[in-house]
Amino acid sequence: MIRPLAGVRVLDFGLLTAGANTSAMLADLGADVLKIESGAYLDPFRVVGKPDNEEGWWNRSPQFRFTNRNKRGLALNLKDPAGQRAIRELAGHCDLVVENFRRGVLDRAGLGYAALKEINPRLVFAAISSQGDTGPERMNVSFGSTLDATSGIASLTGYLGEEPRISGMDVNYPDQIVSLFAAGIVIAAVMEARRSGTGAFLDFSQREVASFTLGEEILAASGDPTHSQRPRGNGQQGVVQQDAYRCGDGRWIAVTLETPDPGLDSFCASRDSNQAVAALLARGIAAAPCNDGTDLLADVKLAGVTLVRDERGGLVKGLPYRLDGKGVTIERAAPDLGQHTDEVLRELLGYGDAELVRLKESGATSTTPTIGET
Amino acid sequence: MGPALTEATPCADHRAMTEAAPLPLARFTIVELNDAGVPLCLRLATSLAAKVAADLGADVLKIEPPGGDPVRRAPPLLPQGGSALFQFLNTSKRSLVLDLRTDAGRASLGRLLDRADVCLFEEPASVAALVRAGKATPIEIAAFPLEMDAATRPVSELAIQALGGLMHMVGEPACKPLKLGGHQASYAAGLAAFSGLAAALAARDAGQRAPHVRVSLAEVMQWVNWKAASGAAATGTSPGREGKASEFQIVPCRDGHVAVVYTVTQWPATRALIGDKRLDDVKFNTRAGRRQHIAELYAILRPWFANKRRAEIQRAAQAKGVPFGPIFSPAELLGAEQYVARSFLAEMTHPTLGRLVMPQLPVQWNGRSFAPRPAPEMARAELAA
Repeated sequence: MIRPLAGVRVLDFGLLTAGANTSAMLADLGADVLKIESGAYLDPFRVVGKPDNEEGWWNRSPQFRFTNRNKRGLALNLKDPAGQRAIRELAGHCDLVVENFRRGVLDRAGLGYAALKEINPRLVFAAISSQGDTGPERMNVSFGSTLDATSGIASLTGYLGEEPRISGMDVNYPDQIVSLFAAGIVIAAVMEARRSGTGAFLDFSQREVASFTLGEEILAASGDPTHSQRPRGNGQQGVVQQDAYRCGDGRWIAVTLETPDPGLDSFCASRDSNQAVAALLARGIAAAPCNDGTDLLADVKLAGVTLVRDERGGLVKGLPYRLDGKGVTIERAAPDLGQHTDEVLRELLGYGDAELVRLKESGATSTTPTIGET
Repeated sequence: MGPALTEATPCADHRAMTEAAPLPLARFTIVELNDAGVPLCLRLATSLAAKVAADLGADVLKIEPPGGDPVRRAPPLLPQGGSALFQFLNTSKRSLVLDLRTDAGRASLGRLLDRADVCLFEEPASVAALVRAGKATPIEIAAFPLEMDAATRPVSELAIQALGGLMHMVGEPACKPLKLGGHQASYAAGLAAFSGLAAALAARDAGQRAPHVRVSLAEVMQWVNWKAASGAAATGTSPGREGKASEFQIVPCRDGHVAVVYTVTQWPATRALIGDKRLDDVKFNTRAGRRQHIAELYAILRPWFANKRRAEIQRAAQAKGVPFGPIFSPAELLGAEQYVARSFLAEMTHPTLGRLVMPQLPVQWNGRSFAPRPAPEMARAELAA
């Protein structure tokens, strides 16, 4: 595959989806992404997705595997002076930092933008946080669906006349879209840094990204206080009839009509979902089954480039678009904890055996979690 | 008054200095090709991707069919006339009406493409072959993956949220599946297209041949909803909408609703916040236990919210590190303290529509925001033709 970001190196502190997926998209485009974790602080996806408690559980989470393919993985303790020193040295060899810690965490470790830009003035530093780096709520905590609520998306989601709804913990929608937006902006900033020789601090608020997707609703509300702000079911302004309908086989299908048809309920109820969708499509009507995850795995044509197998046979996330008609190539599976620590410290910083052993013995580097011990 | 003046001066200088710096994409020219007869849900994706580039300084030329982009007439409408949807999606662009059914129209397009870096267009486009053969890198927005019967299958945003599995995740298990509010199927694809556009520009900038980019709404929706496939592959059972059986639920409070959200590690803080002794029961100690007794758990939680306001709930929860989410409507966000402090909502004066307030790009770049300029007017677009 074409590698538009070949030669770009990323120091990746990204966790869960919002951070780790932003840098994963850069890795897919050819960047050398160095994911930094530590034995004392794993990407939480290693923990929430662990399939069992057997030795090596921290390397077996599907969620982690989905979101960290094509990266190299280092374990360097952010609280250890030797770990901090290695990270500062690595920053000199990188174009970009991606992080989504709570505000202040990297500053306290001496690894914030102010410190790293002294080492590398061309560095682009992407800080992705719940509320942004400024303002009275900058230290607020949030988790996925908190932002469905506070961004406005939940207020327009729900059954007609009922309470608002969130996307929920199995979607955490705001986390997904922030990585799409941040990846694009970060690429623009790296281009600009290479041209000008000067880096930048990029301050992303996840809540703002989610509200941005309601731009027309906010604009309409600013001019008209009576503009509807209630859950809208499956309807849409300007569409005469649109909803989910239950078919004879018990499955739901989504249908959008350009002219109303009061008989659509019974049309669907008297047919299997496959027949109903096919009949509607043949009449030029937009219709689709309400798929679940099992359906998505089974429908290879529909999956397009969104799911790929890594070298170990594990299913991972692809790219949301194609380049020259192709999806992403998985060149390496998601890294085990600390898998590439020694390799990268030798290659980029020239560390030798003695130094690497010293780091391991002091606990600055590791390949096993120390959760509960620190 | 003296101190106010001295404070104002450095501010003004600072603004002048930062605004003098060129916008990051100012070097690039982008054609947004709006062919006639394209499904609106594709147009929204195209226009969003081009809007982000335009607000970042790219010279975006929007080519509209005779009669204009139908989004000019799409709801929600502004009380003073015009479409809020169009005004939001087309900031900072220039516009030109071209009839691509005529030789002259296609010849004009060809000349514009020769000068552009990128051309965004939608499938099915009558001029797709012309665009793909041009010097500008093509970025194609489609409804479905190439492997499906992509160009002829009818599409709607609801159908995309259904196909991509998102609707299966929202609502009550015994009731119909629900879509998310807003134009999420189109806008997620628009953001993906912008990131593909940035990658194409980076390749051109590095002297490489830029790849052709193709974005489909159906692929983006599945990509966004990846936990459905990942969960189904890991356990053999798909995650799905849990409604009143979910750990995260919406509860009413005195002035609206709040989303109850907490992670496993935040449960002790959540229990302390609510302060009801019944929550100390061992059956609530583990996540599995809480899920098993979810109705009972919420029966204990709900009264705590009932007589409190959202602001009070958020303050108390944040003080304990608990991420409860008060639910705000778009109108309420206009006054949100955090958004006001960060000047997230930009105010602009449109030549005919007057004062408009809308979100800016959700990023600050060295502290700088990207103030959008008003969307182009139809009369000028026709005149330019």
